[in-house]
Amino acid sequence: MLWVDKYRPKTLDQVIVHEDIAQNLKKLVAEQDCPHLLFYGPPGSGKKTLIMALLRQIFGPGAEKVKVENKNWKIDAGSRTIDLELTTLSSANHVELSPSDVGFQDRYVVQEVIKEMAKNRPIDTKGKRGFKVLVLNDVDKLSREAQHSLRRTMEKYSAFCRLFLCCNSSSRVTEAIRSRCLNVRINAPTEEQIVNVLDLIGKKEGLELPSGFATRIAEKSNRSLRRAILLFETCRVQQYPFTSNQAIPPMDWEEYVAEIASDIMKEQSPKRLFQVRGKLYELLINCIPPDIVLKRLLYELLKRLDAELKHEVCHWAAYYEHKMRLGQKAIFHLEAFVAKFMSIYKGFLIATFG
Amino acid sequence: MDMDMDIPLPEELELLEANYQDLEPPEEEPPDSPPCEINAHKRPRADAPDSPIEDDQPKLDDKRTRIVDDVDEDWLRYSPPQEREDSGVAVEEKFVSRYASEIDGDFLPVTAPSGGDRVYVKICRIVGEDRGKKLDIKSRSNGLTSEPINVLLQKVEQETFTKALNSSSEGQTVESLSGKPLVHEQLWVDKYAPNSFTELLSDEQTNREVLLWLKQWDACVFGSEVRSTSEEVLSALRRHSSIAQHQKQNDSGLPRNNRGRRWSHGSFRHSNDLEHENSNPKNIQDLWNKKTRFTGPPEQKILLLCGPPGLGKTTLAHVAAKHCGYRVVEVNASDDRSSSTIETKILDVVEMDSVMADSKPKCLVIDEIDGALGDGKGAVEVILKMVSADGKSNTGKENVAKEEQSGKKSSRKGRKGASLLRPVICICNDLYAPALRSLRQVAKVHIFIQPTVSRVVSRLKYICNNEGMKTSSIALTALAEYTECDIRSCLNTLQFLNKKKETLSALDVGSQVVGRKDMSRGAFDIWKEIFQKRKTKRERKSISSGSSMSNEFDFLHSLISNRGDYDVIFDGVHENILQLQYHDPVMQKTVNCLNCLGVSDLMHQYIMRTQQMPLHVYQPPLAITMHRLVAQIQKPNIEWPKSYQRYRTTLMEKVDILKSWHCKIPPYISRHMSKKSFVEDSVSPLLHILSPPTLRPVALHLLSEKEKNDLAQLVSTMVSYFITYKNMKPDPVPNNLGNEVALDVSALCFDPPINDFINFKGYKSNHYVLALAMKQVLLHEVEKQRIMQLSFGKSVNLTDGHGEHKGLVREEVGKSGSAKINQGATSAELMANAKNLLYPRQCNPSTSTVSSTMDSSRSSTASLKPKFSGDTKKQSNSPSSFFDRFRKLSSKSSQDTDTAVQKASTAQRDSRPLLFKYNEGFTNAVKRPVRMLEFLL
Repeated sequence: MLWVDKYRPKTLDQVIVHEDIAQNLKKLVAEQDCPHLLFYGPPGSGKKTLIMALLRQIFGPGAEKVKVENKNWKIDAGSRTIDLELTTLSSANHVELSPSDVGFQDRYVVQEVIKEMAKNRPIDTKGKRGFKVLVLNDVDKLSREAQHSLRRTMEKYSAFCRLFLCCNSSSRVTEAIRSRCLNVRINAPTEEQIVNVLDLIGKKEGLELPSGFATRIAEKSNRSLRRAILLFETCRVQQYPFTSNQAIPPMDWEEYVAEIASDIMKEQSPKRLFQVRGKLYELLINCIPPDIVLKRLLYELLKRLDAELKHEVCHWAAYYEHKMRLGQKAIFHLEAFVAKFMSIYKGFLIATFG
Repeated sequence: MDMDMDIPLPEELELLEANYQDLEPPEEEPPDSPPCEINAHKRPRADAPDSPIEDDQPKLDDKRTRIVDDVDEDWLRYSPPQEREDSGVAVEEKFVSRYASEIDGDFLPVTAPSGGDRVYVKICRIVGEDRGKKLDIKSRSNGLTSEPINVLLQKVEQETFTKALNSSSEGQTVESLSGKPLVHEQLWVDKYAPNSFTELLSDEQTNREVLLWLKQWDACVFGSEVRSTSEEVLSALRRHSSIAQHQKQNDSGLPRNNRGRRWSHGSFRHSNDLEHENSNPKNIQDLWNKKTRFTGPPEQKILLLCGPPGLGKTTLAHVAAKHCGYRVVEVNASDDRSSSTIETKILDVVEMDSVMADSKPKCLVIDEIDGALGDGKGAVEVILKMVSADGKSNTGKENVAKEEQSGKKSSRKGRKGASLLRPVICICNDLYAPALRSLRQVAKVHIFIQPTVSRVVSRLKYICNNEGMKTSSIALTALAEYTECDIRSCLNTLQFLNKKKETLSALDVGSQVVGRKDMSRGAFDIWKEIFQKRKTKRERKSISSGSSMSNEFDFLHSLISNRGDYDVIFDGVHENILQLQYHDPVMQKTVNCLNCLGVSDLMHQYIMRTQQMPLHVYQPPLAITMHRLVAQIQKPNIEWPKSYQRYRTTLMEKVDILKSWHCKIPPYISRHMSKKSFVEDSVSPLLHILSPPTLRPVALHLLSEKEKNDLAQLVSTMVSYFITYKNMKPDPVPNNLGNEVALDVSALCFDPPINDFINFKGYKSNHYVLALAMKQVLLHEVEKQRIMQLSFGKSVNLTDGHGEHKGLVREEVGKSGSAKINQGATSAELMANAKNLLYPRQCNPSTSTVSSTMDSSRSSTASLKPKFSGDTKKQSNSPSSFFDRFRKLSSKSSQDTDTAVQKASTAQRDSRPLLFKYNEGFTNAVKRPVRMLEFLL
């Protein structure tokens, strides 16, 4: 068991990082009236943890008894039937799934699941919790149609079913859904918060933490708590009596991006661009989302760049990322950004050094 | 002359046809003039400009007149044995040679106009005269042709007369047409369709090979009269060429006759050899040898002609078949082509003889066989069936052929109905149409190439002159180029213009109503056009650069939009664009091109999402923009775009790996690990954690307490993340993770291959890799742990109790881990455990001691009966898990001390005398049946 999982807060009371949010949620549940919730925030900030803790708060420890199911749905869509298969996690009181896994047919899943849940309404003897909770992951990846169909079902079945939506960016969730939910923004933990968490873990594990070491990990972690804890454990595994200047192992793909960046800085030519294309493909093949690649690449390039160019390069990065999101073939746009950068940089070099 | 030599004079043609038609048994053909004519006389003729048919003629004439009779060894080699006595006259001397040194005496160089081959011919009058005398005798005895020359001349006159008459009557119709416009006018395409072989415009080589192929059917088709028939045709054919060469050269037909008709066979073969000297002589020689020996149908029974429309494929098939004495039966796309109808049709053609008087054998021409998919396939299937049926009966082919010589009618009937006995010519435009895939393998394929523009133009000019239309050859050339030598389209255009009383001018060929073919080209062609600047005459001729640009634009636009497959086109552009050599100092062009690609991607995505297909029209201009930016004159090296597809498929694979792994991880962990961010921020630390460099690869009992703890934690991590090691064959590609892994014969790799996710090409990560021994230990431990979890996993509340449970597991792993290291000690210890079980009261203290180092040392001394050894293995896990369970039950509320657990468990134990647990699937010891009684001792 990794520390990430081992020291994950189980209840809202244990939550350290977003303590205020946790307390608010607790109050919300205590009033017996839980609205639909939309959690959004960057990865590694603790959305899922909060949701789980909240579920436990609502339903008690029983919420953690989950089973994995591969559900099949047969959906009548006019003339044809659509077969869908999706993995769900479900307990007696909640169902958790990420409908974006089925691609463009996510709409049917959303409708179907909610209807199904409404049908099998839990009979609670005390009549207290007459609703189930549906946790939907990656709502921002849902298609527009699915989101539209979601908003109607949300209202219609709200008596029996609450939705906890979870996504990285609320900007890609339609207004309609956002207005039907209580939006909970989970921001990335600050570095001090991360240091606190690491100190706590160190204490629990009985480790000696040299001063400043936790801070260094926090800096490296990109304000992602998950990454920080994993890095911490990695350091522990590699060399235990910590030294304050111990090397923190980098992420491999980030190293690779750094390589690409230095390649770009060394030479600007179509030939080089072709090599860069190969490397970008490598990154994309290994399941690293293209927008993350672009972001990291920009970061690495900016590190090596003169101040006067930074603004322009950032502008173009944003421009190409926008196109990338609209389009389908990310490599075209990634490459276009690299070409643009090369062009700018080469022009700059020529202007400066003649 | 109003036309080139390739359009023979009508007289010649008529003569040819006449000769062909009323060819008598050749014995009667008298040789006309003596061959004593010195070959040198013919030489200038050979050099004269003439049609490709005649190209080879001089050579074969030489050969024939001088050598046919006396070519030495070659002759013997090729000819059937019975002809040997004829060749007895052979003179052992070289007359024609490629090397002057090989000829002694006077010689004369001869250059073939077609290939530029130079041969040297010996001049030897005496021999020639000698021969001449000999031949003279013969020629006097029986003449060359069936009719005397005056009869022939008469005929020629008559033919010209009728021809003139015809043309004049045609002129009348045209005249009357002007007066009465409703009168139906014959299409020029039909009117000037070639009627004879020599009139064909298509490539000479193709024509010849088609004819050759048809000839090979002679034996099979013409049955008993195989010899005479084939010879008729052959001689006719040869005469054609010779006459076409020059009408006066009657002597060319002669040497054949001075040896009798069997000679003609050989001589023709020779001429053929010569003709194909520069193409593939061997192949054709073989074919001909075969042909002369076996009289069956040719090897490939189907001829598949393919090429772009309008080059005269159908015409060639018809003319060649007619020429060889067949009656053509055509099935084309407009006919019903379902397999049943076509089968009867083919059978009709193949099996039946016409009752008509002429009773020519039939030749099936299936036109546009690639056209209709569903029904066209039927035709292909039927043909294939027949061919394969034929193949089966191939063994009996020879005797069948013999039978055919005698009484073939019955034998033909006796044969299986579905075999091909008549030539079948299939015609298609697209050789690589999927329907033709199987046919392509069995058929003889000929690909039509465009005739040269000059040939087409001269032909067009001839027709225009005949029709009285004023054209310039420049305009005609432009037209021919524009239509890509599609003669049909040219003629139709011309006729149309003629009708409208307009003239064709070179400059506005493009703008005029010339029908452009809606031809789609292959993707490679399109990429080539995009990347390569065209330097055609058309562009150079065009006056302003603006018009050339618009020309280019139109051309590319129609090209790309005809193809339509924009996704592939842009992929290909993307794939290849960076390989081009274009001048681009500040990468401006590259940026623009990639922007274009980006726009096309956006557009594609938008179109697909909204299903607004009409927006596709905006795609070609993007490609044209790129063409303007990067097109170069040199030829681009284009590859099919594979990398994007490869990226897609590998990505899918990796995502699948992640997914299936994700499903296996227990939900309380997997729900927090998102698939998309796993590689982003988890995999590298995870790999570090999974292979700690601090873990010494030593025996487990040598590890310190702390190290054991670490190991236990590692194992539990691996179990909870469902990671294990697995034997993998060594990668052919050296593993980036570490060389020692790659070097091992049986390397252990992570089971969900998570290390592949950081395995970037050209990147060396500095991950520590555990030693093989350590990996094996881990593998073992993990497996054990898993089994253990399964065995009592159901009773353990995973989510509730996993914290406590973990501690226990760790203890146990520490224990059993140490047990694993030295096998001797292990077994002893396990036996001790078993014994503990048997005597619970005695052994309780030892089992519950968490550190079992004592255990092993103690149990090594313990003497145990060997009969227990069989079970000890099986039970090795059960004692600990057994206790764990009780411990857990009791320690749920609070972390109890070991003693408390112990007490609780013993109390529980005492209530039951024996507990037996069978753990299936984990044993590495000898199995032996054991009775329960033995445990109860």
